[in-house]
Amino acid sequence: MTDTLLQNLINGALTGCIYALIALGLSLIFGVMNVVNFAHGDFVMLSMYLTFWIGLWAGADAVFTPLLTFPALFLIGVLAYYALIDRTLRQKYVTQIAVTVGLMTFLRALTQLVWKAQPRALPYSIIQGNIQVGPYTILASRLVSAVVSVLAIAGVYLFLSRTWAGRAIRAASDDLDAASLLGVPYRQTYALAFGLGSALTAIAGGLLMTFQQVDPTMGVRFGLLSWCVLAMAGLGSIPGLLISGIIVGAAEAVGMSLWDPRARSLIVYLLFILVLWLRPRGLFGRK
Amino acid sequence: MRRTREGLNRLLLAALLGVALLLPIAVRTDQYTLVLLTTILLYGVLATAWNVIGGLAGQLDLAAGAYLGLGAFTAGTLLIRLNVSPWLGMVLGGLVAVGFAVLIGYPLFRFGVKEVWYALSSAALVEVLRVTFLIWSQVGGPVERYLPYHEWSFYHLRFATYMPFYYIMLGLLALALLVNHWIRHSKLGYYLMALGENEEAAEVLGVNTQKCKLQALAIYAFLVGVTGSIYACMYGFIHPNFFSGPMSIEVAILGIVGGMGITYGPVMAAILLVSVREFLRANLGGQLEGLYLVVYATVLILIALFRPQGLGPMLRQAYDRLLSRLVKE
Amino acid sequence: MSAPILQVSQLTKRFGSLVALNNVSLEIRAGEIFSIIGPNGAGKTTLFFNIIGLQKPDSGRVLFNGTDITGKPPHTICDLGITCTFQVPRAFANMTVEEAVRVGAYKRYRGREVQRKVDEVLRICELEEYRHQRCCDMGLAPLRRVELARALATEPTLLLLDEAGAGLNPSELAGLMDILRRLNEEKRITLCIVEHVMQMVMGLAQRIVVLDYGEVIAEGTPQEISTNPRVIEAYLGKGAVC
Repeated sequence: MTDTLLQNLINGALTGCIYALIALGLSLIFGVMNVVNFAHGDFVMLSMYLTFWIGLWAGADAVFTPLLTFPALFLIGVLAYYALIDRTLRQKYVTQIAVTVGLMTFLRALTQLVWKAQPRALPYSIIQGNIQVGPYTILASRLVSAVVSVLAIAGVYLFLSRTWAGRAIRAASDDLDAASLLGVPYRQTYALAFGLGSALTAIAGGLLMTFQQVDPTMGVRFGLLSWCVLAMAGLGSIPGLLISGIIVGAAEAVGMSLWDPRARSLIVYLLFILVLWLRPRGLFGRK
Repeated sequence: MRRTREGLNRLLLAALLGVALLLPIAVRTDQYTLVLLTTILLYGVLATAWNVIGGLAGQLDLAAGAYLGLGAFTAGTLLIRLNVSPWLGMVLGGLVAVGFAVLIGYPLFRFGVKEVWYALSSAALVEVLRVTFLIWSQVGGPVERYLPYHEWSFYHLRFATYMPFYYIMLGLLALALLVNHWIRHSKLGYYLMALGENEEAAEVLGVNTQKCKLQALAIYAFLVGVTGSIYACMYGFIHPNFFSGPMSIEVAILGIVGGMGITYGPVMAAILLVSVREFLRANLGGQLEGLYLVVYATVLILIALFRPQGLGPMLRQAYDRLLSRLVKE
Repeated sequence: MSAPILQVSQLTKRFGSLVALNNVSLEIRAGEIFSIIGPNGAGKTTLFFNIIGLQKPDSGRVLFNGTDITGKPPHTICDLGITCTFQVPRAFANMTVEEAVRVGAYKRYRGREVQRKVDEVLRICELEEYRHQRCCDMGLAPLRRVELARALATEPTLLLLDEAGAGLNPSELAGLMDILRRLNEEKRITLCIVEHVMQMVMGLAQRIVVLDYGEVIAEGTPQEISTNPRVIEAYLGKGAVC
């Protein structure tokens, strides 16, 4: 009993690292420009389909597809910013939500149109097999995914703290007016943040496809999931995001093993609502 | 001048009501069209009810599906288990929805959950309920639960045609519109509009924002709960998928597209968008799954980008122009 | 000397390690025009928010007509008779002027009386011509009067004004001062003016309290304040040069 529980905890925590990566993308978008992006989960779903598509046609392994999907999603993000988001910056948040919900519906319908409603999965991945640690089995694909996610998160952290563009993004998120005075072009900065935030979903999408399938309704799940992680972490703390992601992943897994496999999302959402009630600024937030 | 204008307003209202009343008789044998018309009315009721919490109070609620499902399951279960007439069941369904709304809404408003976080937690609520009813096998479960079959029973709200449901829904729409109109011109309405614009400013003017939001949420939940009970009777079964996230979002979209806080806006949006959606689904849905949604989403984005005030004010302007031309002549 | 209408005693408010208000005590007397001044960041708006209930003080008490109102929500405080206007107007953007004022008028009136109150307040604030205009279409000066009007409609006995004169030109300022003076004399409304614009305070206030770094550094009549060396150092020092 405890063994299964621990086994599930490990699996969940590893998946949680990917959640953290997805939420990091959202936090770039929401934290920097205060844009409420309801379509973020659908970017994940889109990435997964792109991975599937490339994997099928080019025979590329899911692990390597981010080489192609990362720039693609970056481009899509930048385009979405200039075409849609830029126009809503000065509108009420309701308008923003309406536009991103439109985008969400669009992406979902588009994938449904192209790939139909049934779930899709890639037949194999080069990352195969299990690693045995004492009584516990760790799926190699999950372990690799978690490691890559953490590395990607660290990469973003370095980018934000070490490069000029990264510092511009952080400055814009602290105080836009002051940043513009110092010569940070807000449009390009926002486009960069949105592009990067979307591109991170490409890595997550590739990783997810190594061990699971995709269907068009998945966007909503990942959307709410990443908002939940973000709510728990609060804004401005990257380690906080990682911890929250792991908590959410673990909670999901525990819920599934102790209660009912279908209770997976239930646990996450209950956690989400509780966090909103009790810690509206998140557990690690500074804003 | 003013008198003729009011006269014309009344004339238009009477004409619309006349059309609404006679429409099903014109298509009485065509069940597909009847369902379509009833569906439009259904969304009209939901969006009009949403206008209370979303449009007037400015809280972006995405939990219409939660209250709809609660209403459906309350009335449905009472009918299946205890043979309670849906006529009573719908009132109880509305009350259960209210009870749940207050239970959830009180801490949410108490802890100051607002804007995007309110929207998200309400969206999460729908999913929580859906999964809960999926797991709760005594009441829900993954298989549809059918309501007892009757060829034609007023007591059980079962009919061989959809026509009665059309009229019930029309009545409900009238009720929702009246409630909206009444609130809009009452103290509660002004308080809701004020807190929707700026909560702190409303507070210092003596508005108990927590209480007012809770009242708005309760009124909305009641109307949606009642609608849900009828929804169950119309389709003849209950299923956890009645707690539908996409439907909840669509209701909010209709409210936004119609124009926040405008009484008749959401109905207009429902008539327009739901018929566009159904038309696309009927004509394109067959070959290309999802194409109608692509078009639908595009329309939505365009309206949100270029008409952020919604269609309501636009229609109003067109109507005013038409009126002034008519009155001049 | 009339009785105190508002007593603030030893109010302290911290934000993290920053002490925004440190042991602030003051008294406002019924019927007077009282003013709180101080340089930017002195804690004026914080003091104001703690009186009106938008923030809760860490320690200290606020008494209104002898009733403890510390930490009560703003709507309860409004019921008792205190309301305010904001430094940056918080307009009900999509409501018309008349509708915005109506929100206030519902506090003490029902039915037909509401409209009567609205009309009265609109007349006092010289807003009758704007009646059907939407708040988001208005300039700063009339918008400040809308803020004043909707606050007046709640029939306060004590009205707090947070920098009501900021951003107004001299003639607009004179108009506003005129309205305020009339409110005080004819309606017997006690006014507490938080200000940065010195001209307005000197011409209007009967007593002034000066805040600096969250502490009261001086109290007295406008003449006493303008000659107080600590005030000149803290506040007018910069102004005296210009």
